[in-house]
Amino acid sequence: MATVSAASRLLSKRVLSNTKAVPAAAVQGYRSFHFSIYGKKKNAKVADDISTQYPVVDHEFDAVVVGAGGAGLRAAFGLSEAGFNTACVTKLFPTRSHTVAAQGGINAALGNMEEDDWRWHFYDTVKGSDWLGDQDAIHYMTEQAPAAVVELENFGMPFSRTEEGKIYQRAFGGQSLKYGKGGQAHRCCCVADRTGHSLLHTLYGRSLRYDTSYFVEYFALDLLMEDGECKGVIALCMEDGSIHRFRAQNTVIATGGYGRTYFSCTSAHTSTGDGNAMVTRAGLPCQDMEFVQFHPTGIYGAGCLITEGCRGEGGILINSEGERFMERYAPNAKDLASRDVVSRSMTIEIREGRGVGPEKDHVYLQLHHLPPQQLAARLPGISETAMIFAGVDVTKEPIPVLPTVHYNMGGIPTNYKGQVIDHTNGEDKVVPGLYACGEAACASVHGANRLGANSLLDLVVFGRACALTIAEEHKPGEKLSPLKSSAGEASVANLDKLRFANGNLRTSEIRLNMQKGMQNHAAVFRTGSVLKEGCDKLDDIYQSMEKIKTFDRGIVWNTDLVESLELQNLMLNAVQTINSAEQRKESRGAHAREDFKVSPQISKFFSYTCETLFTRSLFIFILSFFFENLLVS
Amino acid sequence: MCQAVRRPGVTAVVSSRGYKGDAPDDNKADLIEIPLPPWMEKTDEPVDIKRRRLLYESRKRGMLENCILLSLFAKRYLNTMTASQLQQYDRLINEPSNDWDIYYWATEAQPTPEVYQGEVMEMLKEFTKNKNHEQRLDAPSLEYLEKEAQ
Repeated sequence: MATVSAASRLLSKRVLSNTKAVPAAAVQGYRSFHFSIYGKKKNAKVADDISTQYPVVDHEFDAVVVGAGGAGLRAAFGLSEAGFNTACVTKLFPTRSHTVAAQGGINAALGNMEEDDWRWHFYDTVKGSDWLGDQDAIHYMTEQAPAAVVELENFGMPFSRTEEGKIYQRAFGGQSLKYGKGGQAHRCCCVADRTGHSLLHTLYGRSLRYDTSYFVEYFALDLLMEDGECKGVIALCMEDGSIHRFRAQNTVIATGGYGRTYFSCTSAHTSTGDGNAMVTRAGLPCQDMEFVQFHPTGIYGAGCLITEGCRGEGGILINSEGERFMERYAPNAKDLASRDVVSRSMTIEIREGRGVGPEKDHVYLQLHHLPPQQLAARLPGISETAMIFAGVDVTKEPIPVLPTVHYNMGGIPTNYKGQVIDHTNGEDKVVPGLYACGEAACASVHGANRLGANSLLDLVVFGRACALTIAEEHKPGEKLSPLKSSAGEASVANLDKLRFANGNLRTSEIRLNMQKGMQNHAAVFRTGSVLKEGCDKLDDIYQSMEKIKTFDRGIVWNTDLVESLELQNLMLNAVQTINSAEQRKESRGAHAREDFKVSPQISKFFSYTCETLFTRSLFIFILSFFFENLLVS
Repeated sequence: MCQAVRRPGVTAVVSSRGYKGDAPDDNKADLIEIPLPPWMEKTDEPVDIKRRRLLYESRKRGMLENCILLSLFAKRYLNTMTASQLQQYDRLINEPSNDWDIYYWATEAQPTPEVYQGEVMEMLKEFTKNKNHEQRLDAPSLEYLEKEAQ
């Protein structure tokens, strides 16, 4: 946890400050507007306490969930089912959350294809996490997995079936039988190739029957914290520019990852780490931020994922000399070596100057040596994606690719029940009223490296866990603890400041600087000196946020303002990630340090052993010398 | 590379639309049995507000491919669309529940359902073909709006 406290100490000096009031001339004037409130709750009232320039509506709920992806919807559904008056605040329509991009599946040891045991899944996940995952959380997740999948199926999710009518399970990377000794396991349950979409559709549809209140296209600004307890969320309604305070005894954060801190990532433009930033601004730590998973083949620039199936069909990676460089790094597996090996090989080639393109900063994936019929039949999607996003005809030219950020293992620290924890005086302490699940949370089930198809499982199990924990410890209709009437003032002041910001650096410029900084300094391969340089650079870029310039002064559907708020959130994530990476002086899972190839635990063990052996042998030598003398005399 | 030996092999057989034969049949039972509330058109929304809303909704999608495609499309066409085109576009990007469907229709990997066929869909399909072989590295920043306003 040293990494965590160092990063948070760094950030506590840089909390965005309150500004002076906006001069009257800049104010747009009080516009009258009509706003509609979802659901039948009549307890929303306009409050004048924070600011007369921004009409504030107060709501009271038993629980509020921020984010409507797989984890958020599962939590909202679980809470509504348990009778809690639940609000779900989301900046996107639920079926448009990034979960919809997931086409893989959900791992569960159902044992439909062959004999299976959750303990084998547990072993695979712990080993896959490079032994950094929290074993309580992994135990909970893998043991609950079959029940969670069956539950989803009962809710109406149409999993693909075998001929006998059981749920069809397919093979996925990293899953084995008998603790790694029994060969490939088939554990991944899917709904054709739209598992993510089906999950969202099912959960959203079911939750509506329980009368969950959805606040769609509301951007959550901050948590309402008082005396170390979370009492709700404050959000901006994009439709009419009003501010909404959602007071609730229980807040669940399920806002997803922060891939967008990097120049090249496979995530949608909505993955901006809003939850992590809200928690950071509340003075709480984040965990394992340095563990960012890279997928070897994402299209250069665009970042769209090119499936591993391409290399499986015979595609090869080449450098500027036209050489199939993987032969040097993995003579047997070549282009089908494991993801981290391929990512590292590609990065070494680029660092050594054999990259392609005008800036020599990526490599090529060649497919045009394969017969066009094979390409059309087996990999049709790739041809389209390459043409649309790289302007490349795969039958004639190679596709530019780069290791691309794919997933964030780190996030808001929680225990296996989904409760957010703070680390003070060397002890873990639960933060009352705050929960987190999904990619935003760090339970941690993925540790230093995530296995495929475990993410959707993580969403479902921990979304459910948050709902169960809240149901165990609280009752619906509980009286809310009092909250200062000026709660959230700082958030509104920040919003106002951004809306009228008139510095000299555009939002897009600062964002590009941050993304390039992260890509150059905290990518696949990390070295102490490069990371330190990166920390300083990111520091400067963070400071440059003071000079931000926005151009849209409106308050209704102001995309520029929302993207600037997202940039603020991304900056907090980026600074924590690179500082954590610099502090972690070992190679572990997805965090590869060129200067610390072996774990210090191992080197300490060896040095201890050597020291002990040396001391003992010296002792024996001296003893034998004495005995020899005695014998002689 | 000793790290490779220590790390588990995560060579994933990733299921994706680009890998035929791996995805079993889809009976779409959830779409039939769990109907979502129907999409409602906003009839009394002023045109300029509609454009601003559609800009946000084009840029923030479920997956990267749509984010880039629709934000570039919006940059090119959104500010010059007529009211009826805006209506069609609104329906196209907000009614379908699966974002992938919009991508398949735009790339013509799957046929467009009749309700979404029309002028705007044709524009989107043509735009997607990328006949000029433009490099589509990322969603555009919002600078172009600022320039247009000047």
